[in-house]
Amino acid sequence: MVSQPKILLVDDEEAITSNLAPFLERAGFTAEVAGDGEEALGRVADFAPDLIVLDVLMPRLDGREVCRRLWTAGNWTPIIMLTQVGSPAERAMSLEEGADDYLNKPFDPYELVARIRAVLRRARPGVPPLSAARRLACGPLVLDRPARRALLTGRELPLTPKAVAVLDYLMTHPDEVISRERLLDAVWGWDYPTGTRAVDARIAELRRALGDDATEPRYIETVPGQGYRFVGTVEAVP
Amino acid sequence: MNATHRALILALVPFALGLATALLLRAISDGLPIVRLRADLGTWLALLGGLLSLVALTGVVVWAAAGRRLDRVLTEARQAQAEAHRRFLRQLDHELKNPLTAIRVGLANLAGTPPGEARDRTLAGVEGQVGRLSKLAADLRKLADLETRPLERTAVDLNELLREAVALAQQRPEGEGRGIALTLPQAPWPLPQVRSDRDLLFLAVYNLLDNALKFTRPGDTIEVRAIEDGRIVTVEVADTGPGIPKDELPHIFKELYRGQGARRTEGSGLGLALVRAIVERHGGTVTVRSREGEGTVFTLHLPLD
Repeated sequence: MVSQPKILLVDDEEAITSNLAPFLERAGFTAEVAGDGEEALGRVADFAPDLIVLDVLMPRLDGREVCRRLWTAGNWTPIIMLTQVGSPAERAMSLEEGADDYLNKPFDPYELVARIRAVLRRARPGVPPLSAARRLACGPLVLDRPARRALLTGRELPLTPKAVAVLDYLMTHPDEVISRERLLDAVWGWDYPTGTRAVDARIAELRRALGDDATEPRYIETVPGQGYRFVGTVEAVP
Repeated sequence: MNATHRALILALVPFALGLATALLLRAISDGLPIVRLRADLGTWLALLGGLLSLVALTGVVVWAAAGRRLDRVLTEARQAQAEAHRRFLRQLDHELKNPLTAIRVGLANLAGTPPGEARDRTLAGVEGQVGRLSKLAADLRKLADLETRPLERTAVDLNELLREAVALAQQRPEGEGRGIALTLPQAPWPLPQVRSDRDLLFLAVYNLLDNALKFTRPGDTIEVRAIEDGRIVTVEVADTGPGIPKDELPHIFKELYRGQGARRTEGSGLGLALVRAIVERHGGTVTVRSREGEGTVFTLHLPLD
């Protein structure tokens, strides 16, 4: 029998963890709770979780610092960051700090379970996630993440900042079906009445710039009724 | 006050200097009759100094009065801001109370209800209230974000945006029985493109349509129309709904404000505040005209570059 994945839940809000831990257990995980960043670092050592759900805003040691310390120590346990403010700046920062995924509070607990499963499927033990890389490549397409620009065979693509952010999210989650709602949450941080249209317009912009054919996609595939999937093979490049 | 005193003394300096020079020159000219001409120069200098002092004194008096007026305006603005802040907190408290009460009652009810249909109903009710609170939190964040969020301006085709907003609104269940008529100019040319953040502009137009749908009944008319004059694009969303009472009109763009007619309507109470914030970030304005029993028209003015 395969053992259940171990999840370390780090949040100083006991009202959340006291219900979320049993919820994760029922969803088929073994869950442990840490109340702050210091405790989390200790628990990572003795509990050896397969994934950490990490709140950003915490007393003593915040989620970002926990993330940095783990990486400095060469620990690449996948991390899902829970962001509180959800402002564009905060999202950009968690992108740069490369949590494997992130979720805005207040989140739907079922969505958290879905993301935990997706991250666990993608993660390779001991290897830094794509979201921690500075540059990502898929064939002739290169995404320079700190500079927020995309190059195709060395030429910079004329893209709006949102389109680059959408490409970034898709490329750091390759081969995963991403719903439009999730892209809105991750890239826009807002829900729009016309959510689907806002996302579709950026995908169309990306396809035009990439010269990607929707019927025979090399990069972005439409999954009818579900969302989009980055189909190319993505690798971190120096 | 100290500053005013200093300014008064400074204003008198030219006169004093002019007078001193005149006296000095007079003394010299009396002693040496050859330079009699210089004495006239002294008189001129004294006069010039006096004139300069007069101008400076007038300046000081005007400046002090303006300062007092500015102080008064600033104090009034601060008071108004403090009052708006208090009102906002009162209203936020009010908006939070009802869903929280519903959740508490629902939870208390759940504890004593055996699994079954009644329990499922209560659970659904609690979830609905949580959804309401989440929507409020999301809209509050939008408002807070709007101040600092960078606008992503692109050339937006207003014709297409308005068509899409109307089509989306028409799909809503509330849209049943109400036609939304869209009038766009064709001759001599269609609406120009507007450099704007499309997602935000869409949200503003859609919020107005959403309001029109909420406050009208089947059989009512909703019209969306737009014109431009080369400098400004004007978009109107008009309805034949119940109208807004005169005394409520000045308040409807305030955060969380709800008029008598809107008490029982779903929504965060932030829709119109968002419309105003979006339009103002684009350098435009939003106004409203309404007649009770006849209807309401919202007007957006957006500058063309």
